[in-house]
Amino acid sequence: MDNYKKLIQEQLLRNAQVNSRRHFLKDCTLGIGGLALGSFLQSCSPNSIPKNNYSTVDRTLNPLAPLAPPFAPKVKSVIYLHMVGAPSQLEMFDYKPELQKLHNQKCPKSLLEGKKFAFIRGEPTMLGPQASFSQAGESGNWISEYLPHFKKVIDDVAFLKAVHTDQFNHGPAQLLMHTGSARFGRPSIGSWATYGLGTENQNLPGFVVLSSGGTPDAGKSVWGNGFLPSVYQGVQCRSKGDPVLYLKDPKGVSRGLKKDIVSAINSINHQEFLEYEDPEVLSRINQYEMAYRMQIAVPEVMDINSEPESIKEMYGVKPGEESFANNCLLARKMVEEGVRFVQLYDWGWDTHGTNHNTSVDLGLRNKCREIDRPITALLLDLKQRGLLDETLIVWGGEFGRTPMQETREGKTNKYKGRDHHGDAFTMWMAGGGIKKGALHGATDEIGFSGVEGRVSVHDIQATILHLLGFDHEQFTYDYQGRPFRLTDVAGNVIQEILA
Amino acid sequence: MKRNTFSKIISGILLILLIFIFFGLKPEEKVDFSTQVKPILNKRCISCHGGVKKNAGLSFLFQEEAMSITESGMPVILPGNAKKSLLIQKLHETDPEQRMPYQKEPLSKEEIDILTRWIDQGAEWGAHWAYTVPKKETLPEVADEFKELGFLRQPIDYFVAARMEELKLSPNQIADKEILARRVAFDLTGLPPARPLFDAFISNKISYENLVDSLLNSNGYGEKWASWWLDLARYADTKGYEKDAGRSIWQYRDWVIRALNDDMPYDTFSVEQLAGDLLPNPSVDQLIATAFHRNTMSNDEGGTEDEEFRVASVIDRVNTTFDVWQSTTISCVQCHSHPYDPIKQNEYYKLMAFFNNSRDEDTPDEAPNFRIYSDENTKRIASILEWSAQYGDKKTIEDLDKFFQYLEPKYQLHNCKDFVNGELSDSKYLALRNNGSAYLRNVNTQGNTNLYFYYTANPRGTEITIRNGSAKGEVLAKFPAKQSKWTIAKVPFKPVNETIDLYIESKNDGITPLRTGSKILWFAFVPELPGKGEIGFNKIEKELLELINNPESLTPIMIENPKHMQRSTHVFDRGDWTSKGEEVAAGTPEFLNNWDNEWEKNRLGLAKWIVSEENPLTARTLINRVWHQLFGRGIVSTIEDMGTQSEPPSHPALLDWMAVNFIESQDWKLKSLMRSIVLSGTYRQSSKINKEKKQIDPKNEYYARGPKLRLSAEEIRDQTLAVSGLLSKKMHGPGVMPPQPEGIWGHAYMGDLWKVSKGEDRYRRAVYTYFKRTSPYPSFMTFDAGSREVCSVRRLPTNTPLQALVTLNDPVYLEAAMNFAKIHLELNSIEEAIKMMYNKATLKKINVQKLQVLKDLYDAAITEYEEDPAALDGFLDLKEITDKRLAALTLVANAIMNLDEFLTHA
Repeated sequence: MDNYKKLIQEQLLRNAQVNSRRHFLKDCTLGIGGLALGSFLQSCSPNSIPKNNYSTVDRTLNPLAPLAPPFAPKVKSVIYLHMVGAPSQLEMFDYKPELQKLHNQKCPKSLLEGKKFAFIRGEPTMLGPQASFSQAGESGNWISEYLPHFKKVIDDVAFLKAVHTDQFNHGPAQLLMHTGSARFGRPSIGSWATYGLGTENQNLPGFVVLSSGGTPDAGKSVWGNGFLPSVYQGVQCRSKGDPVLYLKDPKGVSRGLKKDIVSAINSINHQEFLEYEDPEVLSRINQYEMAYRMQIAVPEVMDINSEPESIKEMYGVKPGEESFANNCLLARKMVEEGVRFVQLYDWGWDTHGTNHNTSVDLGLRNKCREIDRPITALLLDLKQRGLLDETLIVWGGEFGRTPMQETREGKTNKYKGRDHHGDAFTMWMAGGGIKKGALHGATDEIGFSGVEGRVSVHDIQATILHLLGFDHEQFTYDYQGRPFRLTDVAGNVIQEILA
Repeated sequence: MKRNTFSKIISGILLILLIFIFFGLKPEEKVDFSTQVKPILNKRCISCHGGVKKNAGLSFLFQEEAMSITESGMPVILPGNAKKSLLIQKLHETDPEQRMPYQKEPLSKEEIDILTRWIDQGAEWGAHWAYTVPKKETLPEVADEFKELGFLRQPIDYFVAARMEELKLSPNQIADKEILARRVAFDLTGLPPARPLFDAFISNKISYENLVDSLLNSNGYGEKWASWWLDLARYADTKGYEKDAGRSIWQYRDWVIRALNDDMPYDTFSVEQLAGDLLPNPSVDQLIATAFHRNTMSNDEGGTEDEEFRVASVIDRVNTTFDVWQSTTISCVQCHSHPYDPIKQNEYYKLMAFFNNSRDEDTPDEAPNFRIYSDENTKRIASILEWSAQYGDKKTIEDLDKFFQYLEPKYQLHNCKDFVNGELSDSKYLALRNNGSAYLRNVNTQGNTNLYFYYTANPRGTEITIRNGSAKGEVLAKFPAKQSKWTIAKVPFKPVNETIDLYIESKNDGITPLRTGSKILWFAFVPELPGKGEIGFNKIEKELLELINNPESLTPIMIENPKHMQRSTHVFDRGDWTSKGEEVAAGTPEFLNNWDNEWEKNRLGLAKWIVSEENPLTARTLINRVWHQLFGRGIVSTIEDMGTQSEPPSHPALLDWMAVNFIESQDWKLKSLMRSIVLSGTYRQSSKINKEKKQIDPKNEYYARGPKLRLSAEEIRDQTLAVSGLLSKKMHGPGVMPPQPEGIWGHAYMGDLWKVSKGEDRYRRAVYTYFKRTSPYPSFMTFDAGSREVCSVRRLPTNTPLQALVTLNDPVYLEAAMNFAKIHLELNSIEEAIKMMYNKATLKKINVQKLQVLKDLYDAAITEYEEDPAALDGFLDLKEITDKRLAALTLVANAIMNLDEFLTHA
């Protein structure tokens, strides 16, 4: 009986879907059902897809069609800035004058008991902050001299000073941060977001990944789709070569000819559809049109040269190179165009102190210089365009760093460096739904452990989903006989930083 | 119009009424626990009253829990008395605070009725259908209509027809011969049929059965089905994790291809992969087969603890074994009893105990490795052992032979402790400085007199001393660690017959205090080669050492710990490997088949348990997944899981009949299984959908039409190469590197490079493409291939614009298009060429409209190239001089190779 009911219901739904699909096709691709072969490419201009209208377009035809989240969202898009290698909170945001006093003293044994470190063996000494700090903005939050520009936007940001993770190696910690699990096989947060919400611009991927300096240790899995359909995986847009793989028309094939090719394919596919009535064929026709449009839209959005000089100057971009500054500007352009989730990875934050570049007094200063101006510009630029209120910016690494100087194999590293440390580190969020100038959580006097307002990786994820309009406990996907969610079995929304 | 709708509604209501009457009139009928009661409990009750949550002290997971006393002071089920049973009372409550399910939709009348009758009838518990051994069902009677239509060709068809009859569906006609030939060729070999074979079939020179047999006998069969198995086996050519360095394990991939082509019975196929090393006198192939479970990732990242990742591998082996053979997601039982299925937490660790005694320890060299020596060296080693056998007993010679094959058993020095002036370098190697020392505890040298060790030393003058027990203990060995790159060396060792601690010290006065004297990875204690003192012994011994230092290739395999190196297995509290609970012995979960005491209590026994005819899941799992490959959907649609939360089978009797038949009549042979499916009337149907079928069966769950599926990532590439005449037939060997865009392997530590293969290796079948876990071949990823980090049971087929970009613009596809065009350019006319190309690509004859569309494309291209001849310079970057005709026809070829007809099989 139940089955029969289900069958009837499914049938009704199916009919509704077929009708809306027909409707969509009629509006968008005039030629397909009719006679004017080759004309349907023009008939579906990018603008004919509603940008801000959460319609219930059939997903079998377009799995990225925008959907409304179950709750009122605070933001439409996310820009997630991940500093690969784990930046030192002690030189950037977490001001610890007491640690300075303990500089060069032996680390008390009580701190080391029962703790595991990636590299530290034996008895390390304490390492005082290598940067000086001052208070800034109306919030009076502390900020390092390494980040002079950031002062301008410090009142837009909510700091989380006591984030913790249980992973202390890069790969697993990055996976945990982006997929909710330290093991492989789960979808990344951007995949969840595009699965749940689709995307608003059908000419661009819904989930874009931009990297500078190298890719994360955990590889492409940190933007992988896990068990979700592969259409929801992050698409890596590159600064060199084709911005998206195989995007460029091959030599000798003009846009006009490409249109002819796609038209020929689609008109023959349409005959195929009439013969088999397989809805997948219609979907394929749609995908080929999208691919054709994407070939124009992606290079356009990836072209930073078209931006005014003042903007380029503001971000400090380096056209033609792969840089974090370029990626920040690209992130703004993408969000502006309706991309749902933009993930930035900047490589080179693993400051062990094994050489000049990985020292917290020298190398880290340079790394901060590379991100300070672009991040500040990103926040200001989004603000001046009225986009900051509908965008969430998240900044962080996969864990933090020890208040101790790193010693390896009994030897103190040559340069001033810190080992991996997951017990307490700083992240921040800014944008829609975030309390401006907020400060949540605190660490002990040396920045070793969180003493109040500790938040977990799953709490961060729950909060991001919340701002996008999801209850992280209800947002699930059935796989292998059970529902899975991004936050696994944990996570609480961090109410303290919500506006 | 209105009337029509009205009558539809009326007939719908009538039908519903009929169903009501049908079910309502048989109250005396016995309620079946497994098909009627358990699904209700699972769907409506178990999320609050099951494994993790046991609200009110009640759980419906196990019988003893469901029947026992709850917080209310009594059981909720009183067998024989539904009225007094709290369970039924709670369902009837009107107070929303009291009524169950709490704050959820109430149970339907029918559901309550089932539960009520079940309790009144005595509340007999039963097992979930998939946990009982399948019985061979009798073939159902079906209407003559199906016979007349020629649908009933295989026993399978009777089951399918019976279900169709119930739903008033009738089968499609047989697909056109061209379509069917292409479909079956892809399904069996992953390629379009070879032209002569296809022509012979079309011209009726050979029957469909002949066609199927010759496809099954072609090498392509093993290559196609290997891709499916390698997803399950999480096969890759790299280790995974952060560094993701290369791994030499392609011999396993080749083993799979050969085993499939040889039609090795599935029980043997399973046993050899799970426990080939434990079979009596295992052959080289049987050892290579065990690489199945060496496809786990291993972590070389600096600062990672090897034991953590050894444990991670063992856990992965438990999970994968159950994913692959038992359709059971067991990973959640690591931390707590299964929320839905009757598996208790300690049963997980009992299973883990089967896998916890293999020699591998996440070391950078991936030991144990099977060492393949060159043919010449293999002979030399054999003749040395032969010589030696004159002077020694058989056992010693066998042990030595094994040691030269895979260098086990040995002690990994990452287990050293209590360092003075020393460390584990990179958390991997024992690295001692001047006057440095460390302990290696609980070592049993078995009284052996030779110490083999793998080491490197940069400074000269390092001397190592090994003492018994402590710094003052007896010297067991003392030797110089000569300056050397990584090498296996051998020194004499004083025989000791008990388990001892080794105290290892290093001296080198000539180096600075912070400099390391040597790095050592492992120690092995090996018996003396028999024949010591005989003429020529010294020379032979020296030669032997040189030989074992020069293997041709290495393949990670499974080797079991000898008795004196056994590990104990403990429950991990909440799944955390650092907090060990009670110790457990190896054992299988209670809800499945019984253990036969004849079986060894090790992996081999476990493998036998899995392929036992009493195991309810092994054959069903395989049948269901092969069916899924061929029809795009499983008989149980949740192919990953047949547990209590799985979808019920669409054709339960069919699944069971096939499972029993597979074991009894098909002797576990996959080719026989495939043959019986592709010869069925069910499989041979046309895949056309009409309105009625779309209405009644939108997802083709009842098979009233044939399968129309998108080709897999591998098939799309292989077909393109095959059709354009580029595909290489070469089989086996190390992974190859066909062209991919620059900068894909952009890893910070990346030492290895993607070096584009030369010659025919550019055009090998996709299954031979080098597989890097953190950066798989990009176009395969776009077409839904996984990244092989963990076992993957299903690829989700998608349909995306990025796929279109691959087949339109990827240079691999452009090169194929041009080659395809070139072959046909010299035909009489362009029309002829297009006709021929379309036919070769789709195996169909082109119709007038399609020919016109493609001819128009050709003409448009000619016009454009005439107007702009410069566009032909460096056309497609293929470094070939291209005239406008070739260029235009190449674009036509490109279009043909992007058609839905080409990318799918109908």
